[in-house]
Amino acid sequence: MDTQWPRYEVFKQDTPNKPHQAVGSVHAPDDNMALQMARDVFVRRPKCHHLWVVPADAILMVTAQELEKGLDSAEPDSAPQPFHVFRKDNQRRSMTYVDHVGTINATSAHAALKAAREEYGDDAFVWWIVPDSAVITSDDVPVESWFAPALEKTYRHQSAYGFVHPQRQGRRRSQSVESEA
Amino acid sequence: MEPQLQQALINRLLAVADDELILGHRNAEWTGHAPILEEDIALANIAQDELGHAVLLYGIVADLGGDDADTLAMFRDADAFRNVQLVELPKGDWAFTMVRQFLYDAYELALHQRLRESAFRPIADASAKILQEEIYHLRHSHAWVERLGLGTSESNRRMQAALDTLWPYVGQLFVESADAEILVKADYFPALASVQAHWEQIVIPHLEASGLVVPDTAPIDAPRTVHTAHLDALLADMQLVARSDPEATW
Repeated sequence: MDTQWPRYEVFKQDTPNKPHQAVGSVHAPDDNMALQMARDVFVRRPKCHHLWVVPADAILMVTAQELEKGLDSAEPDSAPQPFHVFRKDNQRRSMTYVDHVGTINATSAHAALKAAREEYGDDAFVWWIVPDSAVITSDDVPVESWFAPALEKTYRHQSAYGFVHPQRQGRRRSQSVESEA
Repeated sequence: MEPQLQQALINRLLAVADDELILGHRNAEWTGHAPILEEDIALANIAQDELGHAVLLYGIVADLGGDDADTLAMFRDADAFRNVQLVELPKGDWAFTMVRQFLYDAYELALHQRLRESAFRPIADASAKILQEEIYHLRHSHAWVERLGLGTSESNRRMQAALDTLWPYVGQLFVESADAEILVKADYFPALASVQAHWEQIVIPHLEASGLVVPDTAPIDAPRTVHTAHLDALLADMQLVARSDPEATW
């Protein structure tokens, strides 16, 4: 039996002018806990303006290789609804995966993907298509309590403590004393 | 400041700061051991927040002529600590930790909403900062109480057992010290009865809505100077490194 909680993808928007970016995932028993856990795992220190979590099951995730092989896009059409389009254009970034590039109205996720490839160019490494109806946002959270305290919590590398260097010096000094003796 | 008022202020700040430090340490004991990775990180965050609050408050004590934060945290023995017994009890299971955190988070929220208005400016400033984090802490433990209280019969049983054990200890948070009157008169600290009234408004309806029975057991009768043996064990662990080389600089 799979006892793992469902997986949610986390999208973080650093500032109002930046796109939402996929930063990783959390497992959670429900939507509210997913949002809360996303805050704890991904916004302890980094800057955050807005947060989305989306059940991973609800997202159509497609790589360029899969597109080349051809997709099984059999999917019942529904009434037109908005889909968020994310793409990965860069292989060098380690902290984020796909970026939000726009929103498209379509009758299915595959129809949205097809339209997105025409609209935004067919050269992405990865596409994610996210139905707007599946997005859980941080709109209702007290922002100053969720995101503001992080700004004062700068991450300090071990060298910031001025501890490793004096240790090393001390060791060197005692070694040279030993070799003189 | 009048010496008598100053001493009363130092005593009260130590009580509030010691609660933060000891509970922060207890929560830090979960690091690497929490039931799921996300909560491991969440509780470590909260533990670190509580330690940060203790540092802020010890800083005010130091400015009033008391010892600095490191000395207060690492070089006092158990009998000099002024924390309530609630925070020194061993961490127990996840239900115990979450119930305790909920009871304490609600107390902190109620306390700092009043302290933010303190006539003593350094406290008002520190409280405004602490309150921001407490709003989030309470939301976190509030969510867990609901989910575990209404989860399975096993999770409900563990939550009720935790609540039954913890309830008598909560009263100590609201017992006024002998020198409290001048602090209230100076508007430096609120009367704890008003904090308790607010706390009950937060806690009792949520416990009941989460399928738990609020116990009617009498509170323990102990001043903040009296501790359980659990505090000795905690301090032996927490202070070990600092005391093994008191001259070390960090």
